[in-house]
Amino acid sequence: MKKEDHDRAYLSYVKSSYGISAFYLLTLFLAVTVNANNTVSSEGYSNAFATNWAIALAAPQERTVQGLVSDETGQPLPGATVQIKGTSSGVTTDFDGNFSIEVSGDAVLVVSYLGYATKEVAVANQSTVNVSLEPDASQLDEVFVVGYGTTAKKDVTGAISSVDGDDFKNLPVASVDKVLQGRLAGVQVVNNGGAPGAGASIRIRGTGTVNNSDPLYVIDGVPTGSIAGINQNNIESIEVLKDASASAIYGTRAANGVVIITTKKGRRGQKTEMTLDAYTGFSNVVKTIDVLEAPALAEIKRERYANDGIPVDEIWNDSQYLTQRTNWQNELFRTGTTQNVDLTITGSSEKSSFLFGLGYYDEQGVIEKAKANRLSLQMNSDHRITDWLKIEQNLSLSTRADNGFNTTSAQTGLIWSAIRFHPGLPVRNADGSYSSSQVSSEFGDINNPMYTVNIDDAKDRKTRILSNVAAEISFTPELKFKANFGVDAEIRDQRSYDAQILDQIRQRGTSSRYRGYEETYSFLMEYFLSYNKVFGDHVVGGVAGYTEQSFDSQGFNARTYNVESAESQKLLTNGDADTAGEFRSHDGLKSIFGRLNYSYKDKYLVTATLRSDESSRFAEGNQRGTFPAFSLGWRVSEESFFDIPLISDLKLTGGWGELGNQNISRLQYLARLSGGRRYSFGLDGSNQVEGVAQASYANPDVTWETVVMSNFGLNIGFADNRLTTNFNYFIKNTEDMLLQPPAIGSQGTISSPFQNVGEVENKGLEIELNWQDNKGDLSYGVGANASFVKNKVIKLVDGNFLASSFYGRPNQELSRTFEGEPIATFFGWKTNGLFQTQADIDGHATQEGAVPGDVQFVDINEDGVIDDQDRTIIGSPHPDMTYGINANIAYKGFDVTAFFLGAAGVDIYNADRMQGLDASYPFNVYSDIEGRWTGAGTSNSIPRVSTLRTNLNHRTSDMFVESGDYFRLKNLTIGYSLPVDYIEKINLSRLRLYVTAQNLFTITGYSGMDPELGLTDGNLQQNVDFAQFPQARTFLLGVNLSF
Amino acid sequence: MKNTMRQKLLPYIAVIGLLSSCNDEVLDTIPYGESTSAEFWRNGTDAVAASTAMYEPLRWEDMYGHSENVFDNCSDDIFRAGDHGYEEAMENFTFDPSNDGFRYGWGAKYEIISRANSVLINVPNIEDIDAALKDRILGEAHFLRAFAYWRFSVLYGEVPLILEANAIEGNFNVPKSSLADIRAQVEADLVMAASLLPETHDAENLGRVNKGSANGLLAKLYLYEDEFQKSIDAGEAVIDGPYPLADNFRDNFVPATENNPEMLFSVQGEENWGDVPKMFDAPRPWGGWDFHDPIQSVVDEFEDGDTRLANSILSPGDMVDRGESGILEFTADLTQTGFSLTKYANYKADGNLDGDQNVPVLRVADVYLLVAEAKIRLNGPGSGDFEINEVRRRAGLAPIENADMPELIHERRVELVGENQRHQDLMRWDKANIIDIAAIYAEDRGQFDPPRTFVRPKHYYFPIPQREIDLSNGVLIQNENY
Repeated sequence: MKKEDHDRAYLSYVKSSYGISAFYLLTLFLAVTVNANNTVSSEGYSNAFATNWAIALAAPQERTVQGLVSDETGQPLPGATVQIKGTSSGVTTDFDGNFSIEVSGDAVLVVSYLGYATKEVAVANQSTVNVSLEPDASQLDEVFVVGYGTTAKKDVTGAISSVDGDDFKNLPVASVDKVLQGRLAGVQVVNNGGAPGAGASIRIRGTGTVNNSDPLYVIDGVPTGSIAGINQNNIESIEVLKDASASAIYGTRAANGVVIITTKKGRRGQKTEMTLDAYTGFSNVVKTIDVLEAPALAEIKRERYANDGIPVDEIWNDSQYLTQRTNWQNELFRTGTTQNVDLTITGSSEKSSFLFGLGYYDEQGVIEKAKANRLSLQMNSDHRITDWLKIEQNLSLSTRADNGFNTTSAQTGLIWSAIRFHPGLPVRNADGSYSSSQVSSEFGDINNPMYTVNIDDAKDRKTRILSNVAAEISFTPELKFKANFGVDAEIRDQRSYDAQILDQIRQRGTSSRYRGYEETYSFLMEYFLSYNKVFGDHVVGGVAGYTEQSFDSQGFNARTYNVESAESQKLLTNGDADTAGEFRSHDGLKSIFGRLNYSYKDKYLVTATLRSDESSRFAEGNQRGTFPAFSLGWRVSEESFFDIPLISDLKLTGGWGELGNQNISRLQYLARLSGGRRYSFGLDGSNQVEGVAQASYANPDVTWETVVMSNFGLNIGFADNRLTTNFNYFIKNTEDMLLQPPAIGSQGTISSPFQNVGEVENKGLEIELNWQDNKGDLSYGVGANASFVKNKVIKLVDGNFLASSFYGRPNQELSRTFEGEPIATFFGWKTNGLFQTQADIDGHATQEGAVPGDVQFVDINEDGVIDDQDRTIIGSPHPDMTYGINANIAYKGFDVTAFFLGAAGVDIYNADRMQGLDASYPFNVYSDIEGRWTGAGTSNSIPRVSTLRTNLNHRTSDMFVESGDYFRLKNLTIGYSLPVDYIEKINLSRLRLYVTAQNLFTITGYSGMDPELGLTDGNLQQNVDFAQFPQARTFLLGVNLSF
Repeated sequence: MKNTMRQKLLPYIAVIGLLSSCNDEVLDTIPYGESTSAEFWRNGTDAVAASTAMYEPLRWEDMYGHSENVFDNCSDDIFRAGDHGYEEAMENFTFDPSNDGFRYGWGAKYEIISRANSVLINVPNIEDIDAALKDRILGEAHFLRAFAYWRFSVLYGEVPLILEANAIEGNFNVPKSSLADIRAQVEADLVMAASLLPETHDAENLGRVNKGSANGLLAKLYLYEDEFQKSIDAGEAVIDGPYPLADNFRDNFVPATENNPEMLFSVQGEENWGDVPKMFDAPRPWGGWDFHDPIQSVVDEFEDGDTRLANSILSPGDMVDRGESGILEFTADLTQTGFSLTKYANYKADGNLDGDQNVPVLRVADVYLLVAEAKIRLNGPGSGDFEINEVRRRAGLAPIENADMPELIHERRVELVGENQRHQDLMRWDKANIIDIAAIYAEDRGQFDPPRTFVRPKHYYFPIPQREIDLSNGVLIQNENY
């Protein structure tokens, strides 16, 4: 296709897809404009409407009381409920906050509005009663943002957890996902190393599938797969919808939970204010691995030859390499820096409010060139155009760049290399060149890590726009229509220069230049109606709508060879062409959804939800998935029989529902062929051609993964809700899990297509406790949460296991996923110390090649021979419990916040140590090897050294499984706010100074750098130590200023 | 007034809702840049692209990029030298079925078979294609499938036989076929290939297999089956064809000339695609990784004046032209054994290793010696003199007379050192009671060839990769004695 054809095809696609909606959007706006210019009052209609309802509900022959309900700033509150105490009579206020109600005698009006404290007003003989409501700080009246609406905490029947933006403001991390760690029960944040800009994996209620188990994010109403680029300091609140009832409104993508992010808005009635938040600090690694110095290393190497009866390689007697020259970890790690500035301006007029936020974050990691930065802009506004039309818009624009190194490879990992590079080599030779292990094959195939850092030249910049515009039309105070249009687009621009490497052992014959450019864009269009109405004791609410979202990507990339290294010449144009490619993809989803809420006397609560989606990920006929959910709640404490003074609130909830997951590679239902199979023919190989071969097998039946989840909740508030507690128990079953049967070799190297055959179960208990109180000038609070999740794979393909990627050069298998066991268990041999004598060996099952000083493996199947059949499960990477504790205290101007988190009952496979104690590798080794076996009784845990692998002492075994339990002071902040009367003199309304320490201390028995290791092969390999980039300890000094 | 306005909006909203629900295009998706099987296989261009793809796995590191060359470390010519732990176990016959070396090329060979099966299923139905081109492509498919099964037959003996019907039915988890059945399939495919392939290719298609490739491999197959006359017939079809020995032995190992007519089949390397076979043989200080070092005993095997020695193995004192880096002397400390294979290592003008280097798999000189062996074993000493002496003549050596198996064994060892023949040759001769492989491997030739225990018949074949046994759910049975 020619380029113009491409463009035309693309344009026509856009037109057909969005033209229709754009047209109607325009119509809508025209209608609105006409309306806005119309000055005729709506009072007539509204009053008549309200009166009609009032007449219908009130007792006859009574007098009429009128009034206005407003908020604390005097703004009218439309839709507030006005009830006569002790009766089921009530009305709601109209658009202007007015109500009119028939009363008799000494009636008392009960006035309530979501998010405000309920107020009782005696009518007496007044005919006009104006009521001003105050916002309610009490937790029970807290409002949760749920899909397509909000709900009061007291009315929630599903499992929802929420965290306030202030709780994680100014934490020195590059992305929002990390701030959720330890904050909420049921939300596990798996840190994938501590590199600047490295993302975390969020697991809500366990790992629900071996496939993509990331939650769905909904940012200001726009569903998206990523929260990258969002500045956490612009976030008002984060709600996590955990159970089926809460998340089913996003059914098709909700199987892994939903994280709803609401950015900060301007508040009506607020004067214009500017705040400046800034901090700066430094970071260092907490721990390095003790490895041998050059003389001790040579001694070990000589000993291993002696043990094997092989002549010692001369290099180990060469004095040049017997001198300690470099501690490579100390060379590699340096002091990093972190800086952040946020400027925020908020303000409002009578009809509009706005927020403008500009932020810059910069992190220079503890390794040179490992860095991340982000420039972000947030512009939010909302406008009450008329009393029945509201327009709101949110815009997040960010541009971010990060650079890092591979730290999850046991062949080229940077920190792995620094641990192992020969300590007798200098960083640079006398002539200025970098030292190299080319000297001898005894030094291994590792490149000088400082050289690797030096030649690193890569840029990866992503610019994202996430925006929505929503219009809300109120037909009546109860019935609203909302249209929401969103865009989520990102441009990724990558450029890298791979230098020619000739003087290191891992070479690159030719230099090359790479450029990649990719655009992803998603458009959202949704329309929904919502209805809320009080009928006496009955409160009915509902929402129903249609939504459609497209996901497109397109881009191109190119590489050329033999590009000069001069900065000015690093362009594609200056090399020999190699590859140039273009790619495109499209996915789409369209859905209808609805939710009904009903409550009776504020005691009995019902929520029912249904969502039906069609997804392009599946073949026609299999595209639709329908996901229902319901839940019930009983507020026991509202019953008249309930009389326990200590307990101020007690609610029981239960729910059930189904959710979907469609996160698999596209086009699984087609058998596809693809090109790029290169071969060179011709006398001199100059006829370079590309072949085409099958790339995938087809499964036309592939369809949704379904999660079936039940939830049981108990909420208890004690002592006037100063202590709130929340318990949830869930059973979450992933059915029809999409699995790729392991590709047997005889089908070649094409992987098998996905099939809906697997099943995974997660069961768990979540506990949240919160204590908050004031005593005079002292206010304090403690929050704690804990999650206990049991993960179990119920069914895989044909009873087989799922393999994971192998470790290092000998390709050691570490993790397997079996039926009846958690995902990604560690799989290997059990050990029983070392053979001390030949008699030990003779008395043991046949273990070919073993000599005293070798590891004794356990004959699991008791067949008298140690072989592959003796492997078994030796550990699990899933914690029994994850928890967080947040404590804060404020007295006069001082405030202190301490945030602890941790995990318990979790295993780590310390693969780096396994290899680091194996002297058969031509690498440096862990200092622990000094405690090796050198004769009977010298050691029972660290085997003798050898170059041979006759006994495979360092095969995958429980010797290298360690407890990964840890307790970490994640964050400690101490602040002081200067007295207001003092700072007012310098025209400030607030001035706070603070210091923060991140990762101040960690209590753990784990011997590696950092017990948080993350995922190294999707969900199929977790908590394996590859010498990942560790999390640094960071100290910050910050200031908050308001004008 | 406003009320009516508001009410007027309702129909619009209703219409939006209705129309949006009818918008199915959002669900339409297209496999950009790929084709489905139904859309492919249209013409000669598609058929050529599919045929090219059959060769591609040969370049992979799992195949002749490295792993396929590791199997000959078992021989008495080569010390593993590299730092891959699993190669030590392979060399010393201390391996178990989980050893990586047995897994690496398994899927890659079946990938070649899979791509060949696709060609054999689909190309016959293409109408818009030149008849000669169609024959050539089908011939290439038969050859490459035969070659993959040939390698399976010598390495593992018995393996699952996956043919067109398996591919069509998606039936891949099948029991092993007998060695005889595997060999019969190799024979049938090679016979078809010999009938379909052209004798030679035009310049830009050199590197594709030809009639000589098929007959040459057939000669080897028959010799392994003790079908001496058939081996002679197939081999002589090559010797009598347009496949002269290169005038200069070294021409077979230099990028500019290595696709000469003697090279019946070789894996084509390409510098810019990061092909690495060169790295595995060159000395580390000279940019290589120093695997597969020749040992003293094979160097000693060369007769005085044999020009092949310096063109196969670098020995201390040899001078090497490394372009801009100068003419450098090879010294013993450059590699572990003090020798280095040079058949795969050439240097470019800038002094760096040349990545265009091919990996020779089947040469006409090999076929000469196969025919000589078949003749000697069929007709007795002296009957293979012509073929042996053709090979010797090029090496600058005097002819010999009345050559028997010891002379033939000597000639194959020096002609083909480092070309992955020796271990298989020794096992073939051991099975025929010509030599005692266990005794040869039990000899102590020092640090780089210590005594090793070869167990008959266990070690005639390597074990099937444990992973495949595990995944087959009991369908695949491990080779005897493992």
